Order: sequence, then C-alpha cells, then structure tokens
Amino acid sequence: MAATKKISLTEVDLVRALRGHETIAIQALYDMYSGALLGVISRIVQQPEVAEDLLQETFIKIWNSADSYDSSKGRLFTWMINVARNMAIDKLRSKDFRNANKNQDIENNVDFIDSQKKITFNADTLGLRDMVTALKPEFNDVLNMVYFKGYTHVEAAEELNLPLGTVKTRIRMAIMELRKHFN
Amino acid sequence: MEESKAYIETGILELYVLGQLNAQEQLEVEDMSVKYPEISKEINAIEIAMEKYAVSHSIKPTASLEKQIFDEIGATPAEQLPAATAGKIVPLHPDNSSSAIRTLRFALVACVALLLISVAALYSAHNKLNLANQQIASLSTDKEKFAATVSYIKDENKDLQEIAAISSDPTWIPVKLAGTKISPQANMMVYWHKKGQHVMVDNTKMALPENDASHQYQLWAMVDGKPVDLGVFDAQTQPKKLLLAMKEVGNAQAFAVTLEKRGGSVNPTMEKMVALGAVSI
Repeated sequence: MAATKKISLTEVDLVRALRGHETIAIQALYDMYSGALLGVISRIVQQPEVAEDLLQETFIKIWNSADSYDSSKGRLFTWMINVARNMAIDKLRSKDFRNANKNQDIENNVDFIDSQKKITFNADTLGLRDMVTALKPEFNDVLNMVYFKGYTHVEAAEELNLPLGTVKTRIRMAIMELRKHFN
Repeated sequence: MEESKAYIETGILELYVLGQLNAQEQLEVEDMSVKYPEISKEINAIEIAMEKYAVSHSIKPTASLEKQIFDEIGATPAEQLPAATAGKIVPLHPDNSSSAIRTLRFALVACVALLLISVAALYSAHNKLNLANQQIASLSTDKEKFAATVSYIKDENKDLQEIAAISSDPTWIPVKLAGTKISPQANMMVYWHKKGQHVMVDNTKMALPENDASHQYQLWAMVDGKPVDLGVFDAQTQPKKLLLAMKEVGNAQAFAVTLEKRGGSVNPTMEKMVALGAVSI
C-alpha cells in the first residue's frame, strides 16, 4: 500500500474493530482507503464537492452497517469500494442530480476528472492508468465504464454495441492484464 | 478441477467482484467458492487487483473532510449505534387492519349466532305449524262428522215427523205384517195411502233378520190374489232412512215380504215369505 498511510491494521483486526464500533477501525480505514474510495466516487460523480459529500456518507454507512459485511463473501476493501460505487451510482441516477447536470456529458467523466486542477494523483501510481490503457485500450474501456463510470456490464454492451459475451471477455482480459501488472 | 477452471473462464467471477450479478447469481458464485478453493482463491486475486487498481487512481480528499467525518461518527455514541441502526419501525400509515380483522371476527361470530337462532326458531315454528295443521285436519274431520250427524238427525227427524203425521192421518192405512212360519219373530209396519197410491215402509217398526249382501227383502202387494212387486229393501240395524218410499199401488188386500236375490225377482218365492199382513179396512 501507499507510504502515506498513518494507521494500518490487518483485515481480520479491522473487521473485528469495525464490528465492535471502535473508532480506531474507521480511523484506520480512512487512512488506508479514503483516497482510493474518493478516486472511484470522483470518476462516477464529477463535482469534487459532491464526491467528498459522498465519501463522507460512504464512511458513515460503512460505520453503521459493518454488521452487514460478510467476510466469507469477499474482502473488506472490495466491499467498501462497492458501497462507495453504489452510493455514487445512486446519486448519479437520482432525479435531482440529473436535473442539475443536464449540460454535462457523463461519458467524459474520467477525462473530465483527470483534468480538474484540484485532483492530485498518487505519485506512486501516476501514469499507471495510461500504461494500462495503452496496453489494451479496447479491453480497458469496458472495464473503466463498469468500474469508474457506473455502467452495468449490460449497459456497457448496449453502449458499445457489443455482444454481452464479448463485454464479459474484455472485462476478464482487462483484469488479467491488471493482475499481471500488479504482480 | 476441470469444472472450476471452466467456471473461472466464463468471466463470472470478475462480474461478481464488480458487483454486476443479481442476488441469485451471487449465491451461485458463493456456493462455488465454498465448493472449490481455487475459485475462492481466484476471487481473492481479482479483488486484490481491483483494489490496487482503485488505489492507483486515488484522489486525496481535502484535509478538512477527515475531521468532518469523525465529528459526525463521534457525535453518535458507539454504544447506542446498534440500537440506532436497528431502529424502531414505525409504520408510515397507521395500521388499522388488526382492529378491522377483530371487528370482522366479532361480526362473523354474531352472524353465526344469528343463523343458529334463526334455524332453531324456524324449526320450532315448523313443528308448531305441523301440529296446527294436524289439529285443523282433526277438527275438520270432527266437523264433517258432526255435520253428517246433524244432517242425519235432521233427516231422521223429518222422517219421524212424517211417521207421526202418517200415524195421525186417517187417509194413511197402517198395515202390520206379522212373521210367518219360517221366521215367527219377524214383523214390520207398512203405511199405505190408498188414494195417493203411496206405500211406505217404516224402518223404526221393523224386526226382520238382517239380510246378507247377495239377498234383499222384496215387498209385494196382493191384488186380487196376485202378487204385485213393490220394490226391494234392506233390513239393517242402523237404517239410513226411517221411512222408505216403495212403488205405488192403488188397490191391495194384503202386503207380504219375501227374501229374494239382490235386486228382486219377478215372482215371489213363496217358501221364503217372512212376513204377511192383511189390509184391515
């Protein structure tokens, strides 16, 4: 993980502390994952103020619904990312939000966010996305639509005019590329 | 091993990690991951890759956000959180269905009770009606019996008056018929109105042995030594009429009664003569 983290606990300890409503748990989670979660949220909901509000709501939700996390069904951080993503997608699809953003093109979220001056990339991984994109652009586009733009894989298939099977294959290929890269 | 490998290659595990599956598909993946450790391992690897991918896209939140979040979380005492999370469910609209059901239940019980009372009342009314019908039937039978009796008594009374009138009227000649050798106990009374040629048999003053169903008594008038048929009659203990009108005859010296076959005979059977009486002028 990144070198800037202040508190770091093992996942088992974190889950136990979170279930016990120990504030150290949420403190550790914030230190470890707030940047990553905000990265995911910000790519779905473009406005930084709204994204930060959502990050706050995400942490409160994680704090309040720790009991609904089942460690047998996946890692804690993945669960947290899904909570953050679902929250951002719900916001994106809410009526009041859509009305306020009619003039913005959702598809350009990623590039739009990246162009925002306020956003600072983690120095360790800067350029990674460019690298991945350069490797397999057609695979990565599908993954990014689902992971960073709030599309379902069915919507992505429709949008790209691709068979559902092809979309599934491309997501798998992109993730395999990522795994190769991170290992 | 082959099955799990094929399953991994479908790409469903990636969709699972990305939260793209419906509840049923999620359960399927979870079942498979329990069954095959390599699937569980694969899911874990995909998760780690995606987590690293997310971390690589980190955006540092504004410094003030951290305090804001912990103020919010800290403002809620940890001990009270589970209770607060569980929450007391207060219905948005007051639920009146249970009281409505109770009311309906009472109504149902009342309906059943009313139905039972009605059936009992109907049954009792039906019984009373039957009884009343029987009483009416028996009363009407009684009434008919009385009416018949009254009419019989009226007729009898009329006949008795007539007999009384005949007895006191000199134009009627009473002829007493006495028993013959074959039935010495027999005797009867015949009234004869010579001028009007009427002949009457008085059943009140008749003492003849009862005839059976195949025989009848026949009255004869002896006119100048020859028997003239005056009709048949029955000898009954309970006669229908007291006074019986016979065929007409204007001239007779004597009256006789023979026992004949039912309906009478053309000529009298002399050996069956039961009564005989001469006219006394």
